[in-house]
Amino acid sequence: MKSNDLTVIAVAPNRWQVSALEDVLAAAQRVGGSAQARFGCLLLGHPEPERERLALEAGACTVWTLDPGEADAEDYEMWAAVALAALESSQLWSTPRRVVLLPPGAAGEELCARIAAGNGSVAAGRCEDIRVLDGQLQFDREGWGGRLSLSLITAANDLCACLRADKPSYPGRRMEARLMPLEHEPAPRPQRQIEYRETSEKLPPIESVKTLVCGGRGVNEAGFALLERLAEALDGSLAGSLPAVDAGMVPAYRQVGVSGKFVRPDVYFAVGVSGTPQHLAGISADTRIVALNSDPEAPIFRVADVGVVNDWETILPALLEALGPG
Amino acid sequence: MNIHLLLAGVADIRYPLHAIAVADVDRLEETGHTRRILSPYDESALELALKLRDSEPDLRLVVHLLSGPNDERLLQTVAAHKPDHLEALALLPCAPWDACLTACQLASALQAELDDHSLLLVGREFGDLDGGNLPAALAVQMGLPLLSRVQYLRWDSDGRCWSLRERGTQEEWTLVETPCLVSVSNDKRSKLRHPLMKNVMLARKASYASRRVQISRAAGLQLGSLQIPAERQRGDHCTLLTGDVSQQVESLRACLVGSGADVP
Ligand SMILES: Cc1cc2nc3c(=O)[nH]c(=O)nc-3n(C[C@H](O)[C@H](O)[C@H](O)COP(=O)(O)OP(=O)(O)OC[C@H]3O[C@@H](n4cnc5c(N)ncnc54)[C@H](O)[C@@H]3O)c2cc1C
Repeated sequence: MKSNDLTVIAVAPNRWQVSALEDVLAAAQRVGGSAQARFGCLLLGHPEPERERLALEAGACTVWTLDPGEADAEDYEMWAAVALAALESSQLWSTPRRVVLLPPGAAGEELCARIAAGNGSVAAGRCEDIRVLDGQLQFDREGWGGRLSLSLITAANDLCACLRADKPSYPGRRMEARLMPLEHEPAPRPQRQIEYRETSEKLPPIESVKTLVCGGRGVNEAGFALLERLAEALDGSLAGSLPAVDAGMVPAYRQVGVSGKFVRPDVYFAVGVSGTPQHLAGISADTRIVALNSDPEAPIFRVADVGVVNDWETILPALLEALGPG
Repeated sequence: MNIHLLLAGVADIRYPLHAIAVADVDRLEETGHTRRILSPYDESALELALKLRDSEPDLRLVVHLLSGPNDERLLQTVAAHKPDHLEALALLPCAPWDACLTACQLASALQAELDDHSLLLVGREFGDLDGGNLPAALAVQMGLPLLSRVQYLRWDSDGRCWSLRERGTQEEWTLVETPCLVSVSNDKRSKLRHPLMKNVMLARKASYASRRVQISRAAGLQLGSLQIPAERQRGDHCTLLTGDVSQQVESLRACLVGSGADVP
């Protein structure tokens, strides 16, 4: 496949966390690198020069921007309509095959499905690898709780996907790189009746921190209260495994894993988490995992960098004390 | 209002996976002891449907279960919760890895059954092979508004239904206007109840309807191969912190603080 046969376009709304942009840039670098294709980046929303710079520094040949005006971060129907309008623009479509990448995670997956349904491309959804082989687009998706990986092939020319990759690199702006504003007037849509109520949440989003503390089924309510204090003391945030969410210890948007969020903190402190493939699928491979588990045979110790075999009841209060008042 | 609930089931992760092979470009062959159970998201969607019906007994609950391995057991599990109607939907070809095709098939099966007062519920992931695309693909295919990753549904005193999703420091309550598709996430409030033993026994004796939906599509997704995913490489082997508790705590503190975390 020649480099000019494939276009890779990374799409990210500016109202989403900056980590979503970094995730999709990392994915574009990976697909672009393996298919020897150049990539572009489509930034949706109110212009953010810092994000444009990130995309250019990551090696995007073109950064398209499109501002639809006032927009809710989670109005996926609107973001999809805006992305579709931009993608229709002939300036973006100059090669026989196109791969549109959305940030990994539930929000990106929804956008992916909407864009694919809107322009007739194939929705690859969550996937592990995308390549061009024998002139056809192929990708891998893990299924059955991450126990088998399925490779899927399409004869179609357009694919929309959410690829989980590690951190992006920033090799610097290309000579020919350019910034191109696009225009689009979104069609008015019926408004929903929504009421908001404040919660007691005070920790930052789990995608945005350097240190993420995560509790699993092995931790009870008292333990989660300690984990919350620990997250604060470490200037980090608090996540949970699926059973922790089910038990009401943390809200659903703090779930890490195959069907939760994909996170890339520097340190991931997993407490009372066994380390199932469904959970580990949500942690970037370049994150350092520190595990605290009472079972020396827990699978988490096979992937952790540092481990403590002990009960959280014994370790957490002492650790908080050692960290000092916070 | 009437509720249609779509369920897919997943292989039980507590047991080794049964034998699965690629039989053809559009067919997987599953053999051996297949243990398909409701997924956490199926369970939450079922519980929310039951909760809505608890306080609105006239509400009709229709469940459509994707046909697959050990249908009978799964149908019985659902039947024990006494839906008003329960059927197995056999999609031909059954290609749950292809969200567009699956959405197209499901839409064709459901379109005639839904009216302006219908609420269609689905777990936020549909089975073992959904890449997170099915609910949105189905909403677009059926022309329905989508409320995604809903954690809870409840009636207000005026008989209106509200959906809850938590977002950062806010709870977002959206008025549910039918017809509508709601994709359901897991939540403490939607933990599936245990059915009455009497209903479990009745469900074992009942027989269930089954429907076939045959639609294929060109340029969809074809199966290539199946592999065991390589375990992700994460640097060196795990360093276990040894010593007594105070030594473990001190090493842990140094390690958490020294590797990126700032302690004031
Ligand atoms: C369709 C589907 C999607 C899923 N998606 C996700 C997902 O996105 N994210 C996710 O996390 N899971 C997901 N799961 C669930 C997954 O299969 C596992 O059930 C889950 O990851 C296990 O979570 P856990 O490690 O917290 O619990 P467990 O596996 O039960 O582990 C608990 C651990 O706590 C330890 N422990 C117990 N007591 C103590 C103590 N006092 N001190 C220290 N350690 C202690 C135990 O030794 C054990 O290792 C999904 C499942 C399905 C079917």
